[in-house]
Amino acid sequence: MYAPLLANRYLTSRVIPFIAVAAVALCVALVIIVVSVMSGFLEMVRSTGRTMTGDVVVSRSITGIPFYPELVAEIEALPETAAATPVVETFGLLQMPYGSGEGGRDIEMVEVWGIDPESFDRATGFARQVYWRAPDAAALAEMAADDPRRDEFYQRGANAMSLRSPAGQPGVVLGIEISPFNRRSRDGSYRAIDPRTDAHSPLYFMPESGDVILTLVPVTEKGSLSGEKKRKLAIVNEFQSGLYQIDANRVLMPIADAQAMLQLDEAPIVSRTELGPDGRPLRIGTAPARATTILVRAKPGTTPEALRDAVQRAYGSFERRVRGDATRSTTAPEARSVSIATWEERLADFIGPVEKERELMRILFSIVYVVCAGLVLAIFWAIVQEKTRDIGILRAVGASRIGILWIFLRYGLLIGVVGSFCGVAIAWGVVSRINDIHAALGVPAPWWAQALAAAAALASIALVVRGARRESALQTVLWGFLSIGSMGVTAALILHRGFLIWDPSVYYFSEIPSRLDVWTAGTTMLGGIVFSVIGASIPAARAADTDPVQSLRYE
Amino acid sequence: MLLQAEHVKKTYRLGRVSVPVLRDASISIREGEWVAIVGSSGSGKSTLLHLLGGLDRVDRDSGPVRFDGADLRAFGAARENRYRNRDVGFVFQFYHLLPELTVLENAMIPALVGLSRMRWMSDRAALRTRAAELLETCGLSHRLGHRPAELSGGERQRVAIARALINRPRVLLADEPTGNLDIHTGSGILDLLAERHAEGLTTVMVTHDASVAARAQRQVRIADGQVH
Repeated sequence: MYAPLLANRYLTSRVIPFIAVAAVALCVALVIIVVSVMSGFLEMVRSTGRTMTGDVVVSRSITGIPFYPELVAEIEALPETAAATPVVETFGLLQMPYGSGEGGRDIEMVEVWGIDPESFDRATGFARQVYWRAPDAAALAEMAADDPRRDEFYQRGANAMSLRSPAGQPGVVLGIEISPFNRRSRDGSYRAIDPRTDAHSPLYFMPESGDVILTLVPVTEKGSLSGEKKRKLAIVNEFQSGLYQIDANRVLMPIADAQAMLQLDEAPIVSRTELGPDGRPLRIGTAPARATTILVRAKPGTTPEALRDAVQRAYGSFERRVRGDATRSTTAPEARSVSIATWEERLADFIGPVEKERELMRILFSIVYVVCAGLVLAIFWAIVQEKTRDIGILRAVGASRIGILWIFLRYGLLIGVVGSFCGVAIAWGVVSRINDIHAALGVPAPWWAQALAAAAALASIALVVRGARRESALQTVLWGFLSIGSMGVTAALILHRGFLIWDPSVYYFSEIPSRLDVWTAGTTMLGGIVFSVIGASIPAARAADTDPVQSLRYE
Repeated sequence: MLLQAEHVKKTYRLGRVSVPVLRDASISIREGEWVAIVGSSGSGKSTLLHLLGGLDRVDRDSGPVRFDGADLRAFGAARENRYRNRDVGFVFQFYHLLPELTVLENAMIPALVGLSRMRWMSDRAALRTRAAELLETCGLSHRLGHRPAELSGGERQRVAIARALINRPRVLLADEPTGNLDIHTGSGILDLLAERHAEGLTTVMVTHDASVAARAQRQVRIADGQVH
């Protein structure tokens, strides 16, 4: 019963164990923070990927899938399906409503998605991604007081859902990062900025700034390029998916207009040899409209894999029916030429490396545990050296070697447990506030922080002087280091003008993703505890081997 | 005989050099006796006390140390620990109290070492009472919550005596118990030992001071590693 008493007293009555606790806490916090940011990144990639593509994607690029409304209907009839929507997917050139010189237009290369807004919303939650819309009560509560979306002028959601301008003209919804005038504020909201004044200006609000001219190039079934098609489209709104690469490149437009520009719309098939009664080539059939992609959302409780299998069966049935119908002028593409994959399979090229990177980081940062064990070992070695006489006393009053061993192992366990809990608390504090911390680093330090650091520097200088007058080398050196440190912090705070660590154009997301999960916290804590005990075990064994006579012989 | 050393040898090694401390030392102590082992510095008196208390082991070719007839060499680790915990109590010249513990906790330590968790749960209150009573008889009832650093030398040695007696040992082994104290304080400590001896406690005391040794019933002199 003496082991817990002594382990607790050793922990609470001296400074040196707190250094060990701090070492363990910092090691644990470091691992958790790194893995949390990586996990959050992976989670956000997954969630955004799924949001933007649904659970299962049916695709046949360039030439598309004919009779797609039937396929969509068949997929929607599946018990596993919540919604399905056709998309026409291509690349194009976008002439922006701004540019150098009078009437000049900047040109952006963009990824164009022709969508049916209503079914696209059911499959992907598009309405929630539309940026300029009337906020609900919950969104209002979170918005900054000067968020432009509070102003009715900026609430354009209805237009986005119709993809038509108020005048009825077909329009586009741009990714929020396409326009260089949309500047992201510290609170995460966007403002249209006038580049001449660097101030918020409705003149540069894209949905009010004019039209874009979209150029698409149709590709024939044989793979050759047809003449380019240009169309002027109104900017009806902008969207924010949260994934920078999408927000900076994607443009949404009405599917019918995209089909028409890409020559994937319904068109008559005419005879090359015969003429009709009107003297024109004889119409012998109708080529159906095509969609290059069908996005499918699973019902809650259905896995993407189960939905994929069901969609594959549905496509097989669709293919057989179309091919078996001799009245149709066109057949359905063979199943092998159509890709049916889950969103995760589609993003495997991207998710796979991120997963590997996370595991690599976890392994590399686990080396920190060895550092942790080394620190505990060094500190415990010093403690055992200092406690040699105590060990001799305990051996003299009958304590066994195992008992002595257990005191120090228990001491190490205690340091591991306390340190690990502190580490989790630090990690939780940092991870949950990581974007606030990043935002704080991005602006000049507030005056009170500068004043506080300056006061600390002055106080520590005064203590250096006092230590020198008292001829205390320890106080002089300790306060000396503190004063140098606090002067450094003061200088850094005064000179600091803000810097951006997390650049969304490099890191995909506009916010630092992080997710503190119980599994990571638990395993890291356990690692901290185990390695603390391992670090304590060698000094503990040395303590157990202490010769009581030798340790008690001299004062 | 309660405690007996028969032709005991003990050699220490200092690097490659062997230093024989006890060559052929024999001593017999009867139950209830107060024996003072006297000798000059380096004569081997503390070593003999350590061997009697099971803190150290005799050489391979040495004669035995016996407690109540049992050869200490035959004790396994557990019995040896129990011997130091229950059968003998040590008092050292430099008190050797645990600085992180209070006076009461220091006095209780040997009992805590010998108790299982279950016994601790059931005997805790009785143990605290016994430790407090012992400290009261040592004149320390007002110091129970103090740390050793807050006590005088004499008070610390009284705590050490209370600690040595907490498990009701049959033998008290005291190594220069007054060696670090002034005459007046040392006299008080010897009075305390005398009281315990009067209650029947077998006491073996090592000292180089003839006036201290005079308080014992019997004196044995040790010189050149042999008891005379």
